[in-house]
Amino acid sequence: MRDRTPAYKGSSHIVPGMSDRDSSRRQFLQAAGSATAAVALAGCTGGGDSTPTDEATETSGDDMETTTAAEETTERPEPDTRDGYLQRANRHTHEQAPWVFLHRQYSVYGQSSDIEWQPRTDERVAAYAIEPATDAGDDVVMTQSQMDSGLDPQDHRETPTDNIVLQAYEGLLERDREGAIVETLATDYERLDETTVQFTVRDNVSFHSGDSLTPEDVAFSINRIVQSDVGDLESPQVDQLIGVEGAEVASADDRTVNVNLSGLNPIVFASFATYCDVMNKSWVESNDSAYINQNMEGTGPFVLSNYEQGVEVAFQRNDDYWDDPAAISTFTINSASESSTRVNRLLSDETDIAVNVPPQEVSRVENSDDASIAAVPSTRVIFNAMRYDVEPFDSPTFRQAVNYAVDLDSIIENVLQTFGSATGQPTLEGFFGHNEDVDPYPRDLDRAEQLVEESGYAGAEIELVTPIGRYLKDVEIAQAVASQVDEIPNVSATARQVEFSTLVSQVTTGNIEDKPPWYLLGWGNATFDAIQTIQPLLASDGALSSYKNEELDRLLDEAQNLPSESN
Amino acid sequence: MGYGRFLLKRGVQGVGVVWGVVTVVFILRFITPGSPIDTVAPLDASQATRQRIAEELGLNQPLYVQYLDYLWELLQGNMGYSYISSIPASVQVFQKLPATLELAVAASVVAIVISIPLGVVSATRRHQPADYAATSFSLLGISTPNFWLGIMLVLVFAVELNVFPTSGRAYGFMQSLAAITGPEPFLTVVTGWLASLFLPAITLGTYFTALITRLVRSGMLDELSEGYVRATRAKGLPETLVRYKHVLRNTLVPVVTVLGLQLGTLIGGAVITEAVFAWPGLGSEIIRAINARDWPILQGSLIVIGIGFVLLNIVVDALYAYLDPRVIAE
Repeated sequence: MRDRTPAYKGSSHIVPGMSDRDSSRRQFLQAAGSATAAVALAGCTGGGDSTPTDEATETSGDDMETTTAAEETTERPEPDTRDGYLQRANRHTHEQAPWVFLHRQYSVYGQSSDIEWQPRTDERVAAYAIEPATDAGDDVVMTQSQMDSGLDPQDHRETPTDNIVLQAYEGLLERDREGAIVETLATDYERLDETTVQFTVRDNVSFHSGDSLTPEDVAFSINRIVQSDVGDLESPQVDQLIGVEGAEVASADDRTVNVNLSGLNPIVFASFATYCDVMNKSWVESNDSAYINQNMEGTGPFVLSNYEQGVEVAFQRNDDYWDDPAAISTFTINSASESSTRVNRLLSDETDIAVNVPPQEVSRVENSDDASIAAVPSTRVIFNAMRYDVEPFDSPTFRQAVNYAVDLDSIIENVLQTFGSATGQPTLEGFFGHNEDVDPYPRDLDRAEQLVEESGYAGAEIELVTPIGRYLKDVEIAQAVASQVDEIPNVSATARQVEFSTLVSQVTTGNIEDKPPWYLLGWGNATFDAIQTIQPLLASDGALSSYKNEELDRLLDEAQNLPSESN
Repeated sequence: MGYGRFLLKRGVQGVGVVWGVVTVVFILRFITPGSPIDTVAPLDASQATRQRIAEELGLNQPLYVQYLDYLWELLQGNMGYSYISSIPASVQVFQKLPATLELAVAASVVAIVISIPLGVVSATRRHQPADYAATSFSLLGISTPNFWLGIMLVLVFAVELNVFPTSGRAYGFMQSLAAITGPEPFLTVVTGWLASLFLPAITLGTYFTALITRLVRSGMLDELSEGYVRATRAKGLPETLVRYKHVLRNTLVPVVTVLGLQLGTLIGGAVITEAVFAWPGLGSEIIRAINARDWPILQGSLIVIGIGFVLLNIVVDALYAYLDPRVIAE
């Protein structure tokens, strides 16, 4: 089995002196931050001590919120790294509290004793990592909540489909269990200059049909995602490779492929580790979309053996795999939308992995002799956005008060049954740009009451809008938050449930006035980089932003102008 | 009015009903919250991307143009393409239909096998323990929610006793037929098919069983008080012959009518049972399509179910008219 250890750490491949502002940087910034696939990373909340400021804010002439007076006077040296700017951005969001910061959602699996397996940090289940613990563990079945949206690896952006296509398809890079970038079909990768990165394609790799993998296949696969006129596809993954303009074979002999960027794009390798599976160019060009969506031609450790759309996908081990063959012989994925059905299958030995076991089903699994629970923190952060432009949320002091009123520990223990961890910033621990010195807000009702008085919004009546059933225990969490905020003597809070589609139609219009003043949302970030959370959700020009602040925009601007030291 | 003209009239009415179903299903899309664009586009897609998707899906056309396009495509057998999988909706819907039909027929068989003897026993032993047991059963059957019964059956017979599979459809009817000559052992396939079908069929058929039991009981009680029954008894016919040859036969006429119509209800009502048992039929597909706002699949499924209802009604009307020509005159 190959060693999937991080191969690209530090800045050895980064060309120094890339601080010139690029005209396309703003374009990249506007579009960056599009990860929604949930990824997981082990860890808990960071240390340090940080006390949010409660000074009143000033508002600039163009409706853009400025930072509080207290922060402006805080003596902090200007960061000199991208990580530093992102950490500063996280501190800023904590202090200005544009969200009620809630928690990091966990991924919870039920697992049969017939197999040995540990969940990955990015919610993706790779059968290659499963090993049999008994004879029965050689043929493994996994039940998830839904099936694929087609087998084209470049025509989806959701985890259930990821789990299916990743058994047969591979990208140039991928994540290891802890979330670090490792090489797969690339043996090396480096930045040649500000707008060019280069991948060296692995030799002696074959597609399942027997065709050899060529650099041309790699360039075609990248172009199929980012160029709508290649491969007859408008790929939904184009936002994942934002800033990538195209790829071309640099040297067929050296098996190198150059990727052209529109700007610096500090997270380009992180993006390639998340999406961009490599496909066989001739196979794609000789088949139509319906065929590609029902068949597979990858280089991965498993070969498709049966596909029944919406019912079952079966794989058998690829004995000609370029690395060590998988430890199990077959891997079958089916689905059951009801969580109780998934757990019943596990307890009846009909499946080996039950995905998304909700808290109320956990004890059933734990009480079983033949199954156990495997949980891992995901990359999804759950929060309540507060629109900066409407009363009473236009006051950072009021927003801080709401944060002080929420008892995160109680919610995590009683609603999520400990399958969650509190956060006090948008970026989760282990991610690039996470600020370890920022703690979650502690519960302090007296402080909350005092801050509400100071904000001038005593007696405010606020309503939290929550989707129904979109995120784990979303309604229960919203009801708990509203009830806890309602305990502030000078605030009245309620929760209102809406269909997720209704909420989506309100938050995706690009117009902040269409959004509810206070709403619950979750956000997955597959790139492990702070920018992919803060930019779309909190920057002035973010696609889903509920906040505008000059200082935050400046920090993000500076961060995107520097190369990434880590990812 | 002749029989042929009667059928023609019913057929024309059926087309009108199907058109109504198609229209209502089309309008549903515009009165439910959420846009199909949200299904296709990632949450953070730019407004330009959303606009492009709207153009691709034809959503920026005037409503009447979209409606006429939809009708025209339907007339050519094209229900559109799934927003999620890009597979033709007609292919996806008709792939799921056999599993639902299989479940509905199995539930009907369960209902017939249990309800008719139970109804007969109940009627012929009126006010005796057997009657009380049968009426209690039917009351319980009508009152028990599908989803609860399904979950309980799974917990007892699948999880605890491990007699039946918890969910899924290991094999289908056609696979069982193919196994006669195919490589897989026939017995394994048929056993697997019946085992996976058993609990869903019981769950879906219980309400139906209770309903028919009541129908048979009341029908038989009515018939037993008719004059011809006294005449047959006076002729000296054995009671068994009186009950089963004459009374039951007459009782079954309305039962057969209800059976035909209820089959349509079963196809539509299988949604909950299919969800509980992860049965890969039209019901599961409808739930998935609703959650994903996959309108072509949802519309296709509803139209197919609607057409099924209309066809069953026409068949029942035709049978009625054949059995009782007075219906044509009316």
